[in-house]
Amino acid sequence: MGIAFLVFLALFAIFGPSAGGGITETKWGAFEFPSSRHLLGTDQLGRDVLARVAYGARVSLAVGITVQLLALVVGVIFGTIGAFGPKWLSVTVMRFTDGMFAFPDILLAILIIGLFSNSSHGGGALGGFIISGFLPVVVALSITAWPSFARLTNTTAASLKDREFVVAAKALGAPSAYVIVRHVLPQMWGILLAVSMVELAGTILAEATLSFLGIGILPPYPSWGSMINLARDDMVSHPLWLLWPCLILSLTIFALNFVGDGLRAILDPRRK
Amino acid sequence: MRLARQILLRLLYGAVSLVFICFVTFAAQSLASGDAATALAGEKATPEQVVALRHQMGLDRPFPIQFASFMAGAVRGDLGKSYFGQQRPVGDIMRDNLPTTATVAFCAMILAAGIGILLGTLAAIYQNRFADRVVLTVGTLGVTVPNFVLAPILVYIFALKLDQLPQTWEDPLRDAAWKYLLLPVVILAARPTALLTRLTRASMIETLSQEFIRTAVAKGVPPLRLYFKHALRNAILPVITAIGTSFGFLLTGSFVVERFFRLPGVGARTIEAIQRRDTPVIQGGILITGALFILVNLAVDILLPILDPRIREAQV
Repeated sequence: MGIAFLVFLALFAIFGPSAGGGITETKWGAFEFPSSRHLLGTDQLGRDVLARVAYGARVSLAVGITVQLLALVVGVIFGTIGAFGPKWLSVTVMRFTDGMFAFPDILLAILIIGLFSNSSHGGGALGGFIISGFLPVVVALSITAWPSFARLTNTTAASLKDREFVVAAKALGAPSAYVIVRHVLPQMWGILLAVSMVELAGTILAEATLSFLGIGILPPYPSWGSMINLARDDMVSHPLWLLWPCLILSLTIFALNFVGDGLRAILDPRRK
Repeated sequence: MRLARQILLRLLYGAVSLVFICFVTFAAQSLASGDAATALAGEKATPEQVVALRHQMGLDRPFPIQFASFMAGAVRGDLGKSYFGQQRPVGDIMRDNLPTTATVAFCAMILAAGIGILLGTLAAIYQNRFADRVVLTVGTLGVTVPNFVLAPILVYIFALKLDQLPQTWEDPLRDAAWKYLLLPVVILAARPTALLTRLTRASMIETLSQEFIRTAVAKGVPPLRLYFKHALRNAILPVITAIGTSFGFLLTGSFVVERFFRLPGVGARTIEAIQRRDTPVIQGGILITGALFILVNLAVDILLPILDPRIREAQV
């Protein structure tokens, strides 16, 4: 069920934004009720709510997946160094990772965005989007996301290090890099995938939080977080407009946790 | 003696973390585009004026010396001045806003710990029965529903439909202060409560299956005393560690809640500063929040060996 919802979400993100006239078209009346042209009605500026929610899905998934990939690469590299590198290097890397845990996640992201984001607008469609918060958000969230992958890779790799097949490969004279790439990393993809599902939920939530605070994805590009923030002003008269982004955000996070926990239960050797 | 040494070690570790946070906030500033002198001099300043101001502010000194003077200032509570308005000292701004944030955060913490431990214990006692299922479902919801989704729902019910509580903070207050803070505290507490409930339940179930509990049952210890004295005392230790970590969620949550309810707190001030690109205030806000997080975790770290003789005996 969780997987079905995620597939639906991906399709929605790809095809949804063109529904009802696109995300910034304002020629219709404000707060129109749901109709055949606007399935979820229009918002306070007369923009189609369905298209905006769908575009929010695109933003969330794009931010979430980019961040997870970046964090995964950095985390795996650091974690492997921590397990296989020379002693002085591995100690330095893992102490640094521990240090990153001492800083509350979103606090660090807020600091990074606060000091680096460029509030000016301009550029073409894509350029405008990247300037409007996409890049700072991805950078900030990646920096806060990699330590947990590093720690996971480190502990998993350390436990694999003394297993027979690794020792055997080394005894046959295989170079360390070859052993790591061919024998150690393939053992870990499953658990890394499961954890990145759960972490993806965290990243999407973090993006929504930043956008809600007004420092994530900037207007005119919609994000679930900023839509919730906008709809709040009119919740007295139009509670329905608050409902959609809230609902889809909660469902997404629930589905990701659900699928991730399921995967982890299947793939994590420690839970067997 | 060993306890004293452990506490000393943890104090040292806390101090190192504090320096680390100072360093990160400071380093982030010097990497950011545009420096304080350019911002303070204003748009009309000539390049020569900017250079002079930079020298006067000590921004042309080597990096380690700048960091040392930043640290020395931070210790004395001097965090620089805001770029905007009357250029108030950041220390004063934080002093005005910290009480609100601290009150809300600590009330939420106490609420979350109390309810979480109680519900978790009950769920463990009635494991797999109806009460347990209800607690687990609510707990899962509490973790998945973000606080800025929960906030409008509760405001809609209690402020708009039932008309019992005010919607947002007002200046001046028209009602008792606790009425304004009640909803923020409850919303902030939701996520940690759910986490602590789940953790207490798991820890309690594990403890209840251990042999000393069976011995106590055989001895005829009355149930209430058994659960709350024998079992909970052992099960609560990982929960106390988690209280420290979940304080981090609480602090980030306070950014959201303060903004939602327009509370005059550190979080709201920091977000405002980000939108105006007011670097010293951003630094001050992050520094204060980070320090609060470390201090709470330090308190937890010191409390643990006092509560648990096993940790006290172990070598660090």
